[in-house]
Amino acid sequence: MTDTIFDFNGSKNAGWSQPSPLTEDSPSHIPESMRRNRLPDWPRASEPELVRHYTKLSQKNFGIDTGFYPLGSCTMKHNPRLNEKIVQNPGIDRIHPLQPEAQVQGLLAIYYEMQEMLAICSGMDAVTLQPVAGAQGEFTAIRCIQEYHRERGDNHRDKVIVPDSAHGTNPASASMCGYQIIEIPSAHDGRIDLDALRSAVGEDTAAMMITNPSTLGVFEPEIAEAAEIVHSAGGQMYYDGANFNAILGKTDPGRMGFDAVHYNLHKTFSQPHGGGGPGSGPIGVKDHLSKFLPSPLVNRKELPSGDIGTVGDGFWYHWESPASTIGKVQQWNGNAGAVVRAWAFYRRYGRDLERMSEHAVLNANYLRFRMMNPNPDLNIHAMPIEGCPAEVVKHEFTLSMSPLKDVTGVTGKDVAKRLLDFGYMAPTLYFPQIVPECLMFEPTETESKEVLDKFAEDFHAILAEDPDIVLTAPHTTPVGRVDEVWAARNLILRYPKDEPSS
Amino acid sequence: MDQLPNLGREQEMLDIMGVSSMKDLFEDIPVEIRSEGTLPLPPPQTEEEILRDAERLLGANVNLDSRPSFISAGLARNFVPSMVPMIATRGEFLTSYTPYQPEVSQGMLQAMWEFQTMISELVGLPISNVSMYDASTSAAEAITCAVRVKSKKVDMPNTVYISELVPPHRMSVIENYTQGVGIDIRKIPHDEDGFLNLNIAAEASGSCAIYVEQPNAFGILDEGLLRLREVVGDKTAIIVGVDVTSLGIVEPPGNWGADIVVGEGQPFGIGPTAGGPIYGIFACKKDFLRLMPGRIVGQSIDTEGKTAYTLTLSTREQHIRRHRATSNICSNETLIALMGAMHMALLGPVGLETLSTRVLSSTRMAIDELSSVEGLELAFPKSPVFREFAVKVPGKSSEALSHIFELGVIGGFDLGQWWPDKGSWILIGCDERTSESDISLLKKSLTSWVEESS
Repeated sequence: MTDTIFDFNGSKNAGWSQPSPLTEDSPSHIPESMRRNRLPDWPRASEPELVRHYTKLSQKNFGIDTGFYPLGSCTMKHNPRLNEKIVQNPGIDRIHPLQPEAQVQGLLAIYYEMQEMLAICSGMDAVTLQPVAGAQGEFTAIRCIQEYHRERGDNHRDKVIVPDSAHGTNPASASMCGYQIIEIPSAHDGRIDLDALRSAVGEDTAAMMITNPSTLGVFEPEIAEAAEIVHSAGGQMYYDGANFNAILGKTDPGRMGFDAVHYNLHKTFSQPHGGGGPGSGPIGVKDHLSKFLPSPLVNRKELPSGDIGTVGDGFWYHWESPASTIGKVQQWNGNAGAVVRAWAFYRRYGRDLERMSEHAVLNANYLRFRMMNPNPDLNIHAMPIEGCPAEVVKHEFTLSMSPLKDVTGVTGKDVAKRLLDFGYMAPTLYFPQIVPECLMFEPTETESKEVLDKFAEDFHAILAEDPDIVLTAPHTTPVGRVDEVWAARNLILRYPKDEPSS
Repeated sequence: MDQLPNLGREQEMLDIMGVSSMKDLFEDIPVEIRSEGTLPLPPPQTEEEILRDAERLLGANVNLDSRPSFISAGLARNFVPSMVPMIATRGEFLTSYTPYQPEVSQGMLQAMWEFQTMISELVGLPISNVSMYDASTSAAEAITCAVRVKSKKVDMPNTVYISELVPPHRMSVIENYTQGVGIDIRKIPHDEDGFLNLNIAAEASGSCAIYVEQPNAFGILDEGLLRLREVVGDKTAIIVGVDVTSLGIVEPPGNWGADIVVGEGQPFGIGPTAGGPIYGIFACKKDFLRLMPGRIVGQSIDTEGKTAYTLTLSTREQHIRRHRATSNICSNETLIALMGAMHMALLGPVGLETLSTRVLSSTRMAIDELSSVEGLELAFPKSPVFREFAVKVPGKSSEALSHIFELGVIGGFDLGQWWPDKGSWILIGCDERTSESDISLLKKSLTSWVEESS
């Protein structure tokens, strides 16, 4: 076991060297009763010890940089290092969000360009960059839709429809806005069941939340009909942009009939996932919802001719508050650092963002083909897996391990854990819940053919392995299979020494 | 286009699949909704060109390190040790996803478990999650959490009392997060010294929760809050928003009765970064554990009994509980919390106390210097403060700030933007980087404004 950071015994009271305070007597300005008696029991370690501690921890962590990361619905593409370099610039790192516009023209210009680019790619009319995660984008868009209905006196609309294959954040976000959730079943191939939708909509429908391609990676051909059904009932259509990587330049939510959409800059636009965040979840809306967007947005006006402005393009950039804004969802103006990274990423493709989606879809279809068609020499007679029946998929696909489980007792989870031994991240496990023993794979556009070939080969090797090896995997990772029940039962949520009571 | 390893090999891959062209992979999109032509965007750029444009655009911004700066208002112009961004952005941390596969995520899981411990120690409460988006969403979700825990047990279900000095942008976040579940928000006024009116705060007794900030929006440390528990009684949750840096010298709220402590974690770990990514801290008592938002790491064992870490109590979360989840939060700010953990670990207890004292000292020195300027008036001369204080200037504060910016100083924040009746108030923020010469330049430029405007 690696020692925890609290087990260091070096440099007891030294602490990190800092310049001296400007005055000596300042603590006396705080009433005695308010002063802290006992300092927090933080680590007492030196920089050399800490650098080694965290480097060792990093070596027990798997990232895209470590190996193939086919985690479905998460779009784990390569994170270009240029983006990391750019956000170290003091013109973003050392900027305060409340500085006057004149001091941040360059940042506002980037915000403006990103708003425009995202609107263009999604067929929307207005974009806010304020939401800092996909779930917050969903929440923000549903808030805008809620205010839209209220303004029209449509206060009785209290239900939001989600398919049973939706990401859990969809119902959770709508629920936080006070909506009741109506879950409709998917058809057997994962597509929308239009009859189920028809019987679910009504005068109480506020919105439908759906992603397309679906969480099975299948494009929903009847999406325009679904939008028509919801609109006729007076509801709004919300597009979960988690799967946006599949369709850039090919189609867009505006054409499909959506009124609002969120984008995951940490999926489609390469903001690193950072072990769980930060993300960024801007939203785009059609005109009729734009006046409700969070405040502020960036706008610009042309300067008199001859005046090139601070950034040299002849425009003055300024904040603007939408007329009936819902206010703020994040304290400042969103995750500016993620917006700047995404800007640098999009500039790499520009008008050719379409190539990115093409390659994401090419890689997914190629990997699916390879996984469904093992090399005959391997002697796997009947493939103990089931694929989704769709002819082509988009950026991701699901496989059911049910047949394997029936024959050998090996579950989807076991296969996922065994993949870790081969140096891969596991695919998304048991989601969507409508596929039994589901594994969901999303290779992204940044993996080479050789990586995909090798992965399929290793996957087949696992299927042909002695089940006992798979059932007890992983075997080569820093720790063996972790007991999640033990964790929930014992609840050791901090280093136990001198724990605050209650 | 240098990001696509299979560029130029499309046909080879299509042939293997038995698909004739790339177009066939998109035939499932109905013709009526297909995009036409190329996206109306500029042509692709190379790394070299993008960097040039980025440096030009970001170089047009005035960064806080380029001159004496006194703008804070909830974010700190801090100094982040060099080790922090260098080690935290190692690829294994930077490019990993949420640690759903604990066997290959022990590094981030252990680091977050240690983070939870450091936050717990800092605020004096036993439980911490691995971060919220920022101080405001953390406060908002603390309020909805307290309502879930308390509503069935108190006389005033769905009712929460909030200090009227909570800044309007945070109030707006709180309103957006609470309106849907029907929480009734009542405001508690502050008296002329900026202290919470405890007589009115007593009305919160029997409600679900009371939310106050220490220090408050004017930087004021309110000794009266130490009596808040006796004022509101045992049943009402006390939620306190803190300046994390202050807790090196100020008693943590967990020690005077707080049930939940929230705040902006940013001073530990990352620069103000134009407002994000930053991270909110969320710590609480055990009674709130099963209804709290956000991810939590627990210690566990592997198949051989070896210590291991894993996400735990996930049944509260959206991917399992769906519309009955305690929050919709999924992506959080883990990497920034990791930077925070590194910064806190490097400081150590003594370093924290020193840092806290440095911020307090520079605040005191700025107050002393400015109070000698004829024509400037401290808004709350008698109240103890940390990091920030409000000053009344002659004329409009927006004009005063423009004037002193011309003289080379970012002088603070125009409080008229938050409260229209405070259009001549400036919120001046100090930090560990504030020097004596910064303060004397601030004094000089404000003196010039006073002369200008008289």
